[in-house]
Amino acid sequence: VLLGLKRHYKKRCQGRMRKHVGDLCLQAGMLQDSLVHYHMSVELLRSVNDFLWLGAALEGLCSASVIYHYPGGTGGKSRALRLQGSSLPAEAANRHRPGAQEVLIDPGALTTNGINPDTSAEIGRAKNCLSPEDIIDKYKEAISYYSKYKNAGVIELEACVKAVRVLAIQKRSMEASEFLQNAVYINLRQLSEEEKIQRYSILSELYQLIGFHRKSAFFKRVAAMQCVAPSIAEPGWRACYKLLLETLPGYSLSLDPKDFNKGTHRGWAAVQMRLLHELVYASRRMGNPALSVRHLSFLLQTMLDFLSDQEKKDVTQSLENYTSKCPGTMELLTLPDGLTLPPVPFTKLPIVKHVKLLSLPASLRPHKMKSLLGQNVSAKSPFIYSPIIAHNRGEEKNKKIDFQWVQGDVCEVQLMVYNPMPFELRVENMGLLTSGVEFEALPAALSLPAESGLYPVTLVGVPQTTGTITVNGYRTTVFGVFSDCLLDNLLGVKTSGSTVEVIPALPRLQISTSLPRSAHSLQPSSGDEISTNVSVQLYNGETQQLIITLENIGMEPLETLEVTSKILPTKEKLYGDFLNWKLEETLAQFPLQPGKVATLAISIKAKLDFSCQENLLQDLSDDGISVSGFPLSSPFRQVVRPRVENRPATAPEGSKVGDLSHLKTLEAVLNFKYSGGPGHVEGYYRNLSLGLHVEVEPSVFFTRVSTLPATSTRQCHLLLDVFNSTEHELTVSARRNEELILHAGECQRMAIQVDKFNFESIPESLGENGQFANPKQLEEERQEARGLEINSKLDIHWRIPSLKRSGEASVEGLLNQLVLEHLQLAPLQWDVLVDGQLCDCDAAAACPVGDPVRLEVRLTNRSPRCVGPFALTVVPFQDHQNGVRNYDLQDTVSFVGSSTFHLEAVQPSGQSACLGALLFLYTGDFFLHIRFQEGSRSKELPPSWFCLPSVHVRALGAQA
Amino acid sequence: MAQIAVIAKENYPLYIRSTPMENELKFHYMVHTSLDVVDEKISAMGKALVDQRELYLGLLYPTEDYKVYGYVTNSKVKFVMVVDSSNTALRDNEIRSMFRKLHNSYTDVMCNPFYNPGDRIQSRAFDNMVTSMMIQVC
Repeated sequence: VLLGLKRHYKKRCQGRMRKHVGDLCLQAGMLQDSLVHYHMSVELLRSVNDFLWLGAALEGLCSASVIYHYPGGTGGKSRALRLQGSSLPAEAANRHRPGAQEVLIDPGALTTNGINPDTSAEIGRAKNCLSPEDIIDKYKEAISYYSKYKNAGVIELEACVKAVRVLAIQKRSMEASEFLQNAVYINLRQLSEEEKIQRYSILSELYQLIGFHRKSAFFKRVAAMQCVAPSIAEPGWRACYKLLLETLPGYSLSLDPKDFNKGTHRGWAAVQMRLLHELVYASRRMGNPALSVRHLSFLLQTMLDFLSDQEKKDVTQSLENYTSKCPGTMELLTLPDGLTLPPVPFTKLPIVKHVKLLSLPASLRPHKMKSLLGQNVSAKSPFIYSPIIAHNRGEEKNKKIDFQWVQGDVCEVQLMVYNPMPFELRVENMGLLTSGVEFEALPAALSLPAESGLYPVTLVGVPQTTGTITVNGYRTTVFGVFSDCLLDNLLGVKTSGSTVEVIPALPRLQISTSLPRSAHSLQPSSGDEISTNVSVQLYNGETQQLIITLENIGMEPLETLEVTSKILPTKEKLYGDFLNWKLEETLAQFPLQPGKVATLAISIKAKLDFSCQENLLQDLSDDGISVSGFPLSSPFRQVVRPRVENRPATAPEGSKVGDLSHLKTLEAVLNFKYSGGPGHVEGYYRNLSLGLHVEVEPSVFFTRVSTLPATSTRQCHLLLDVFNSTEHELTVSARRNEELILHAGECQRMAIQVDKFNFESIPESLGENGQFANPKQLEEERQEARGLEINSKLDIHWRIPSLKRSGEASVEGLLNQLVLEHLQLAPLQWDVLVDGQLCDCDAAAACPVGDPVRLEVRLTNRSPRCVGPFALTVVPFQDHQNGVRNYDLQDTVSFVGSSTFHLEAVQPSGQSACLGALLFLYTGDFFLHIRFQEGSRSKELPPSWFCLPSVHVRALGAQA
Repeated sequence: MAQIAVIAKENYPLYIRSTPMENELKFHYMVHTSLDVVDEKISAMGKALVDQRELYLGLLYPTEDYKVYGYVTNSKVKFVMVVDSSNTALRDNEIRSMFRKLHNSYTDVMCNPFYNPGDRIQSRAFDNMVTSMMIQVC
């Protein structure tokens, strides 16, 4: 037993000695010898189960083989690491990484260039050497022996590390990771904090080496946490921060927010968020608040989609706390080791979806004068149209918007924003970022409700110079962080161009009127954008003055002004000029300096149809006689009703009138084109539109119109049934007539004696207008002209004394063809002369009894055709004034010669006359009815052409 | 069973479910770091035998308390399962069939025309399947 023990002991000593010799040989560079010694040592120690030394010998064998296989070494880094234990390991690892990788790139190349195991010269040397596979096996074995000893933790770890390095060269990452996994669980007792950090750093470095970046980052983070472990008296926040920064690539996180702008989020949000939180905390503890603000803003900006509502609240809360001490800026932060942190603009707080440059309001929008534009075009190219120019223009339009802003005027940009936060978001100092033109941005503050939908925000500013302005983005202050958000960097923003031209300053005109503003807006179809609407209520036929006050509220003098009006189409027929003004007086005050006021008077005349069609038709049918085609000289005419007829508004008629009392509406737009200042020089003007809304209440109606022949054939009576549709007492007057008083709702007949009209002269004035119009239009125009003529003669006015309002009334609309025909002077003018005296009126021609009285009938033909011949019969009668007429006058009146007159055919514009004589045998009043003989009248001529005056003759006793 | 994760081709989570809800971050880290091994295994398998490739990656790495198993589809979508090491009842075969079930369910999710590939999986059917799987294992 003793002998056995002794042998055992001897073997152990020999084995240990061999191992020691091997170490020395290796140190001396005698690779071959060391291999031999290690081999022997392993043999010896294996037999005596001296595991610790066996492990060491195996490790030595591996080392020697590694040196043989990889003369370049697994990296000078292991040596270097040992040298600088005091300094921070991570830093060292970092420093050496690039060099190490160079070596590791191609182990195959190393073997071919260096000592090739297959060459015959090396065969002896290679014999004792382990193959690359064996090296790993031996390492495994050695490590398993080491693990039997609790105190051998350090060397076990070291062996693991070495094995991993060899595996890394062999590109066997999986096996390497197994070694590392084992190394993680090696229990090292009583490690100092620094050693712990070192251990984790090396683990991280090794994982990096085998390409396990995530693992590497994980252990680096653990190392970083170790730097600030609560057990450490002086936490190394700076070191922690530095290590944390190094983990960023492992979590595929970059600190540039631009990397997150495009596409989906990259990387593992949960762990990235954790890391960012740690960075924020570490930088804060480092005493660098700017850094922590930057990291926190980055966290908020990039991880917004992954934060829960509570987290959002917490993060913003702490961000606000930080920024209260150190506001977030848009500057690049540079760390001492050269890393730069780009600024983080809050493009998601709020999220902007739409950017739209707004044109100026319609009243301030500048317009280019047409003529100048034409000149420009012609100057550019000799061609009227060229596809090349069109193409260029199209390209320009892509960016440029086709409206202009004006220097010195407030311009607007509309953003559609929404707040993704679960609480109210306060955005301060929101303003525009522009380039190209000096621009004074007027910042706005807004408060967006939680999870708001799209919310319109208008940012404003004033361009100070002219040129082309580009809106690049906007600026905000949210949670104390200043952000400049450029539109180019925003994801999913719809913009319709961001470049606009700024033209020189123009004056600004403000219009106020004497009329109240109206809530009515004109029909949208009108096309113009109306800045102001005024309304007025007028009675039909009334005229009212509209005083417009023009004030120059801009900074430039107002030099030119043009006023035009446009009446919006209505169903109503409008007579006369609706709007009328004289601009000269106003223009005399120009140029209008800023702050000065000018006035312009515009008269509004509402003259609509005064007829009521339905009633008129009805009345025509029941009162046919008055307007029927009977010769007016017929004795039956006398049987007509009395002239003035009081007709109380009966119930059915009243309701009809009610229908007619509807308000009618007239609308017009007054356009004020004005310009001045530098903008005028450039050929721009502004257009201000004033909407005019006129409600026309009916005043009087002519419910019926008819004619009565007057005693003279040159005159006739126009009978108008006037209906007062107002609620006030109203007086109506016509030329040469007394006033007629009408109570509310009352209808009275009014007779106006008028001279018949000779219309033939009027239509000629329309000649050139009507040339191309169709006959129907021509006829209408002619009728209108006649109406105008008649109306001007009639000159009917109404007045409401209680309201002190007055106006005109027009019959233009209600004169129909028949009435017109009666009012017209017949083209055949018949004159009857008794004793050489023209006998036309009521006055009786006096003639002595017993003497023959000369009777002459003259015909003047004004028609364009030849008429005649005619045969006329003179029928005398006596009117007893009681409806009885006595035609039996053979004994009383006798004809000298024939009682039948013959007229020759009369050429156009010719004249003809026939003579006869009568003898009155008794005194008395006689009437002579001149009749056409049957068949002598041509049927095709209208009966009204044959109106002969009836002749009243008073035969008196001979005086002398 | 501790956790089931579906990870997109670009290595971000599409779906994560862990049973003890507390200390979830730990599982996140575990799955995240396991991706290293997955990547390594995928690259080690090479491009040659894409068709015959075994989708099941086997045990990714053991830790003290958990075992991490991996599975990768042909479109490089990864399934990672973290199981309690103490659960010895779970053999390789069981894990393999569970992954297959998971894969089938994932295919159903992808068949949904309203699902955008790359979005988080919010399918209730998938969720129920995962729940049943977790109950079965525990």
